[in-house]
Amino acid sequence: MKFKKKSVMLVSFTVGTLLLATTALADIASKSGYDELKGAIKLTTEQASEKFDSFTLDYSMALKDNGKTLESSNETLKVDRTKDASENISSGLSANGDKRSSQSYSDKTTMIRVSESDPTYYVTEFTKERKDEAFNNPFKEEEAADIEKIVDAVVGSLKDHVVVTENPDGSKAITGSLTEVQIPSLVNAVASFQLKQEFNNQNNNQNNSKMPRLTKDVFVKEVKGSAKVNADGVMESILGTAVLSGKDEQGTVHEISLEALVKVMDINTTTVTKPDLTGKKVVKDIARYGDAEMSNPEKFVGKFKNDIIIEKDNKFIKVGERFVDITQIDGKSVTGRYYSEFKPEFEEYAASLSDFKFEAKFEQDQKTSANFEGTNDSGDKVRGHIYLSEYEGQVNFNIDNFNGSFGSGLMFNSSFSPVLD
Amino acid sequence: MAVFQAALLNELEKLYKKKKVLVAILLSLAVIVIGQLVIVGVRSGFGLRGTGSVEFPMLVLSVVVNTILPLFTALVAIDSFSGEFTQNSMRITLTRPVSRFKIYTAKITAIVLFILGALLLLLVFSLLAGFIFNTNSATLDSLSRTVFSYFVSLLPLTVLALAIALLANIFKSGIAVFFVSILTFLALKVLGVLFSQYSSLFLTTQLDWYNLFLVNSFPMLKILRQFLIMLGSGIMLFTAGFYIFDKKEF
Repeated sequence: MKFKKKSVMLVSFTVGTLLLATTALADIASKSGYDELKGAIKLTTEQASEKFDSFTLDYSMALKDNGKTLESSNETLKVDRTKDASENISSGLSANGDKRSSQSYSDKTTMIRVSESDPTYYVTEFTKERKDEAFNNPFKEEEAADIEKIVDAVVGSLKDHVVVTENPDGSKAITGSLTEVQIPSLVNAVASFQLKQEFNNQNNNQNNSKMPRLTKDVFVKEVKGSAKVNADGVMESILGTAVLSGKDEQGTVHEISLEALVKVMDINTTTVTKPDLTGKKVVKDIARYGDAEMSNPEKFVGKFKNDIIIEKDNKFIKVGERFVDITQIDGKSVTGRYYSEFKPEFEEYAASLSDFKFEAKFEQDQKTSANFEGTNDSGDKVRGHIYLSEYEGQVNFNIDNFNGSFGSGLMFNSSFSPVLD
Repeated sequence: MAVFQAALLNELEKLYKKKKVLVAILLSLAVIVIGQLVIVGVRSGFGLRGTGSVEFPMLVLSVVVNTILPLFTALVAIDSFSGEFTQNSMRITLTRPVSRFKIYTAKITAIVLFILGALLLLLVFSLLAGFIFNTNSATLDSLSRTVFSYFVSLLPLTVLALAIALLANIFKSGIAVFFVSILTFLALKVLGVLFSQYSSLFLTTQLDWYNLFLVNSFPMLKILRQFLIMLGSGIMLFTAGFYIFDKKEF
């Protein structure tokens, strides 16, 4: 009897352990629909940024109130990675009934924009070839792994709502739907509060809009999504719908639905064509910004000034000028003098501004900005920052431990324009 | 069987005589009242609906299944074992002509019945509150899913009771068991967030397994796996707990 009891216990313990271990392994090994969805998104973005030579991304969105369209937008992005060129066509209908449509084209050396309301072609030509990737993989960013973990934790048990059905040709359909009873109350409350605020804020900013103002009984009614994944594991389309229900001040029930559809099309067969500018009205512009290294820094040698003004008898009066006199500049450092000059009748203010020489070394990878340190006439250390703006043709000169400008009533800013005459 | 029934009745009566049951009932009702007040506050204050009539019981369940239900399961289980060990009243129970296996099973059954009672109480009152104070959003489907969710929650709570019974048989002091249980519970919760891919193996995540029954597509395989994991760990915990209980000298 004693022996029997012991063996029964041993057997039942073993059965329990085996049951736990095998199902646990099966559970870990099983790929949930959520994991498949994540995998498909990752694979698609990776291929789009590294493998496909060209593709078209179509994005459309519609906001509806009880089935009536309030806002919509459509964007088509054509990317040709072999030429580093992309084309973007966007059109839409805003909440106050304005229609808009615009088109842009971009490659290594040019960027062209045109819109329906203004048929002028704005062309920006770059002095250097840009190294811009036409499409960046967001999962390659540093924070991506951490964000993914947070999202996984937040999604939590909702993961199980994602269902995968496999078609005979190897493609898959991933669907998921949540109705009010399935959305955790806290998630629903936070989400609907957020949406309500956003919605009503947007409302306040736009007069005469058709948007209803929700004040009572706001809740997320339904969230649905579906995605198509082709046999290669690339996501071809993803459609998401969210329905927010609520009442306005008159007690009318509104069901606001937001639909978004993203499609990936014409993989490796998309062609991006540069708009033909012959016979069109064209405004040209040469871009310098984004160019970290200045080719000719010596153009900054010379005097730069800005005005010092005060307020007197309800008027602004110029009392003097501040100067930054750059005497020497090369790729590594910049030296010069900072001083101010006052009109004779306002000499009493002169004491509040200092006068010093500075020498600054440029920051490593940015050849236009530098921190400096100098000593003023009263022997105090002065620290600050100088930035040479090639784009604006100005010098920005900031002094950190600056005192006396506001107390004395003197007004000026930190941009110095060149003294040219 | 008659012997087992007598032992079970004995255990139930002991449980019933304890103030803890009353406290459990009062706390459960308090959760419902406070929950409903919060919902009404949110509704009038922020203009949100908060919950509809069926969502309210689900909100209550999601709160209690992670807080007061495990807490009371722990208290009752500890009281049923450690309490009797320290008061030496276990000897009285054991002197009766009932095998230790039957006593152990009767104790566990009594705890399970207590949990079931608490769940039913919460279900009935939260449904009542849900229908009285909230806009009606019930469909037959959502109502049956809600009721079902309450009943399936009994399973993970039973596994929890078995785990605590095992701990109560390992440690002598009830306070030690209580703290070990709470710390383990919290640790598992944190681990479940950090290693979300393995979280379905943790008891703390299984407490939320009723969510699986809410899924439209009814993920049969996932439910089956979760059920088997709980069954396996339940059998292990029961056997281990009984083994120690059987070997104990009083």
